[in-house]
Amino acid sequence: MKDQNALAYINMFAVLKDLEKLCEFDERAKELASPAKPVSISFNVGNGPQATLSFENGKCTMTEGLGGQIKLKLASPEAFNQMIDGVKNPLPYGGFTKLKFLMNDFKELTDIMNRYLRADETSLKDRKFFEKSTTMMFYLIASALSAIGNNDELGKLSASKIPDGSIAMEIAGGPCAEIVVKGGHMTTICQKAKNPRAYMIFGDFDTARGLFDGTVESMSALAVGKIVMKGYIPMIDNLNRILSRVAVYLA
Amino acid sequence: MNTYTYPKNDEMLQRASKVIPAGVYGHLGPAEGCFIPISAYPKFCDHAKGAYFWDLDGNRFIDYMCAYGPNILGYCDDDVDAAAKAQMDVANCTTSPSYKMVEFAELLTDTVSMADWAFFAKNGGDVTTLAMLTARAATGKKKIIFVKGYYHGVAQWTQRADAPWVLKGEVENNLMVDFNDIAGLKKIIEENKDDIACFISTPYMHGNFVDNVLPADGYWQAVRKLCTDNGIVLIIDDVRCGFRLDVAGSDHYYGFEADMLCLCKGIANGYNVSALCGKDFLKPVVSSITYTGSYWMSAVPFAAGIASINKMKALGGGAKHLELGRRVCDGVAKAAKENGVNLSISGEPCMFYMIIKDDDSLLLHQEWIAEVVKRGVFMTNHHNHFTNLALSDEDINYTAEVADEAFKVMTKNHPEIYKK
Repeated sequence: MKDQNALAYINMFAVLKDLEKLCEFDERAKELASPAKPVSISFNVGNGPQATLSFENGKCTMTEGLGGQIKLKLASPEAFNQMIDGVKNPLPYGGFTKLKFLMNDFKELTDIMNRYLRADETSLKDRKFFEKSTTMMFYLIASALSAIGNNDELGKLSASKIPDGSIAMEIAGGPCAEIVVKGGHMTTICQKAKNPRAYMIFGDFDTARGLFDGTVESMSALAVGKIVMKGYIPMIDNLNRILSRVAVYLA
Repeated sequence: MNTYTYPKNDEMLQRASKVIPAGVYGHLGPAEGCFIPISAYPKFCDHAKGAYFWDLDGNRFIDYMCAYGPNILGYCDDDVDAAAKAQMDVANCTTSPSYKMVEFAELLTDTVSMADWAFFAKNGGDVTTLAMLTARAATGKKKIIFVKGYYHGVAQWTQRADAPWVLKGEVENNLMVDFNDIAGLKKIIEENKDDIACFISTPYMHGNFVDNVLPADGYWQAVRKLCTDNGIVLIIDDVRCGFRLDVAGSDHYYGFEADMLCLCKGIANGYNVSALCGKDFLKPVVSSITYTGSYWMSAVPFAAGIASINKMKALGGGAKHLELGRRVCDGVAKAAKENGVNLSISGEPCMFYMIIKDDDSLLLHQEWIAEVVKRGVFMTNHHNHFTNLALSDEDINYTAEVADEAFKVMTKNHPEIYKK
């Protein structure tokens, strides 16, 4: 069962946060993230997450909390989730001079992101696009793990069983993330782990993609060495339970 | 020493992964078995005898996992196999069950101190589940007290709510207490008064990833009294320990009496039978529960079980296992000390559990075990080990030599930790 509040945290801190990575490797996204003057958008979700996206010099940065020039107020997590699904358009209550960015550039950015995250089969035949799309999915899932571990009822149960420390999550030769757990609270950092206590490494992009799409059986991949898990295994065991919840929310 | 390679094993695993979920699912497989790295481990057995098995590449292993327990006398024991073959020539899976079932039940109730009756099934999980059902039926109560870090099989009632295949309602009556925590147990009983069906535990805490813990003095006697005073059925899951500590049951070994005792791995030297043993007052209840299976009354495992239990008794039973385990542990501990490795060995010696304490990621432990396995001694990273009565002095000495060489390889790879 999907919890709307947990979904709102995923949409904020995994889906929208993915714009940071998009602007790192997509040229058009970089252009769009280079407004003449810096622009920022705050998402204020009633009884839900709050965050601000800033666009400057080709970079997108997400920070927790409000303070952006364009202010979007969503009455509830449900309303925010409907906005992410494109069903609802919120009315801005500030930053009216920057509305052009919101209506045009930001919309184009999210359209580009959608092309990577909901890629069609033809596009995926291009190897470079395939790897970029898989990288975007990797970061989305890595961030969603923490959002679920901190907000979903069953996710919180799993997170509470993860011993303190950090987990390295990687696609070999590709993107890396560090999931830091302390007292059952999870934080995803989209960079290589410095001193991990446990590792979950996907052997290549194809294996990772197959797992994300549900076309590769994880236990068989593990058995034949296409996924490597090592270190303090109880961390990975419990993380895998949260991973199974990711599919519930993002499928 | 030469180290092993596994080309035929790996080829077979590739074949397996195409037609069998996970290639090899469950605890014998690379994933759940924590084969880290997978390349260090054999995946398939070709044949086995005594303390050894040989893999598809012809590599021989001294086996300290013993099929995770069932190999208690030694693989393909001549006496047990002869009894099984003789029964196979007569009858096995038949419409009327063989009288061997009665003989086996009589032998078990004569052997296991607390047992007034025996109910047979196939796996440990069959009988832990039956024990729980019996306790609920006998008391009319629903809650179950578990010890933290427990393992009582894979049925839903033994799992957590965050397992994707488990419904919240299936586990909402589960209560948890620490092992050896009498005060905690009293508190839980007080807080859930008149609603607790049973307390289920292994005889000692043999969980994974932690040092195993033996019962404190007076612990089991205090648990027994609390259960009796509060109408709680005391279930001992002796699936792993059973017959390795004491053929009379592990409750007997620790000086108390369970209401029900779950047996499996140690009772028939690898032939597939499990048993729930119980006290008389539960016999009318268990007999009223609809619980059966297609192969639960097959005669071959009963014949094998009779031969196995008689041989266990003749060879010295649990005392012999404990002695063998102590010698294995002493040899490995000595090698660790000589190489400057902080190796913790815990639990009962015949089911020793090991952790290298020099890092909290267990990566060093995983590296060491991989080197041990590649040299022909089969151990696992994060599960207790098992002895069998076919272990020879030569095997035990060789195990210590392998442990020593593996420590040397591991420590040499980590000069940042193991400075000379």
